[in-house]
Amino acid sequence: MNWLNDNVNLLALIGAAAIIIISVVVVGKYIKQIKTDKSTGELADENWDGIGEYKNPLPIGWAISFLLSIAWALWYFLAGYPLNGYSQIGEYNEEVAAYNTKFESKWANPDEETLLGMGEGVFLVQCAPCHGITGDGINGKAADFTAWGTESALVETILKGSKGMNYPLGEMPAGLLDKDSAKAVAAYMVEKVTKTGTANPDLVSMGEALWATCTACHGADAKGMGGSAPDISAYGKPGFVVDVLNHGKKGFIGNMPSFNDGRLTDIQKLAVGKYVNSLTQ
Amino acid sequence: MFHWLEKNPFFFAVGIFVVIAYAGVITILPDFMNSARPVVGTKPYTVLQLAGRHVYIKDSCNACHSQLIRPFKSETDRYGMYSLSGEYAYDRPFLWGSKRTGPDLMRVGNYRTTDWHEHHMLDPASVVPGSIMPHYKHMFSNEADIETAYAEALTVKKVFNTPYDEAGMPKLGTFDESKKIVLAEAKAIVDDMKSPEVKEAFAKGKIKEIVAIIAYLNSLK
Repeated sequence: MNWLNDNVNLLALIGAAAIIIISVVVVGKYIKQIKTDKSTGELADENWDGIGEYKNPLPIGWAISFLLSIAWALWYFLAGYPLNGYSQIGEYNEEVAAYNTKFESKWANPDEETLLGMGEGVFLVQCAPCHGITGDGINGKAADFTAWGTESALVETILKGSKGMNYPLGEMPAGLLDKDSAKAVAAYMVEKVTKTGTANPDLVSMGEALWATCTACHGADAKGMGGSAPDISAYGKPGFVVDVLNHGKKGFIGNMPSFNDGRLTDIQKLAVGKYVNSLTQ
Repeated sequence: MFHWLEKNPFFFAVGIFVVIAYAGVITILPDFMNSARPVVGTKPYTVLQLAGRHVYIKDSCNACHSQLIRPFKSETDRYGMYSLSGEYAYDRPFLWGSKRTGPDLMRVGNYRTTDWHEHHMLDPASVVPGSIMPHYKHMFSNEADIETAYAEALTVKKVFNTPYDEAGMPKLGTFDESKKIVLAEAKAIVDDMKSPEVKEAFAKGKIKEIVAIIAYLNSLK
């Protein structure tokens, strides 16, 4: 009988017993009344197909609650609902504003791990349909993030050219440099400009001599001459991903829509950038 | 008064109707004129998009996909801005759908592109692992019905005064003029596609269903 020690069980049992006892008593009372009661009282004037109605006064409690509910209904119809200006969109706006405020204060200074987690979440919803849940680009259907942003990918980009981000200077043509020069420029760029470190340090000095090929469009500081061309000083870093998210890209592989429509906040874009960079091997 | 109402069921019914209809009057009527008008920027479908819409209806996309984003944060985060009634002004019939086996498509044009749709229609599971959507390979071999789409556009223009041929709105013109516009529109899509079958057919002036439905899906914004 352990279960009887539980308060809730005990209360439920007492309640059940009380319901049974009250039901039996009440039903018994009315059955007795049906057996012995005589119909007495004054009949109303109307008679519906032989069915009459007694003139019973309304119980006072009923009458009061009835009148109160009529008064409340009139107030609600005429003032309560129309004047409080409720709208579903209004509630939505309040909900979103409250959420955004909370989001901003909660993630004002996120640490690295938080950003990666947030980036992964956004990536799986917004990016994975094209780039795949592992970011491998699903057999060439979209950019392969396991290779994207690396030195060897940079060599590929210099050789093949790049297009589709809608910068005023337009398309970067293929074949600006031959293969060896491209390798050298890439080595110089990742070593000296983006400072992410090169695998071919011996080529850096040769690349420096050829660097002018890039600065013609991307500017001496590689920041894209005030928005005329992409800021390649961010190459291989989160900022480069954010740039693509903002511009969209209609490149050689396919067409990526811009995510600059308010769907992602700045901090979410940065988080996606961090996460995409973390996919690079 | 209540006694009198009991004896006059007709007026009782009228009274009940007034009480219940009051809710509709107070919630629907004040904004009715406004919400029934097309939202600024909403345009009628072009003939190619209409042909795609017919494919959408024919293949019953609306059985699994809705086109109605509700004003909840969880929905607007994923699908974009909630839907407004005026955005459906030129939808005949509207394709709200009633069930989301797949995601909402109200604004799919904002976040999916031609080449993605091409991969996805051929084999949905190749881009969305675990997707239960069937593949729609027949869209790559069936031809889009441009004539019917043109007939529909012309009909709604004449019967409902849909603003085709007006400034800033899609041009309809005669069938031959319209056909040229359709081909130009289709070309932009075919150029972004990879399927040799579709490209080959287009070179002969034929437009496959896949081109029309991509035009329609890209127009959903």
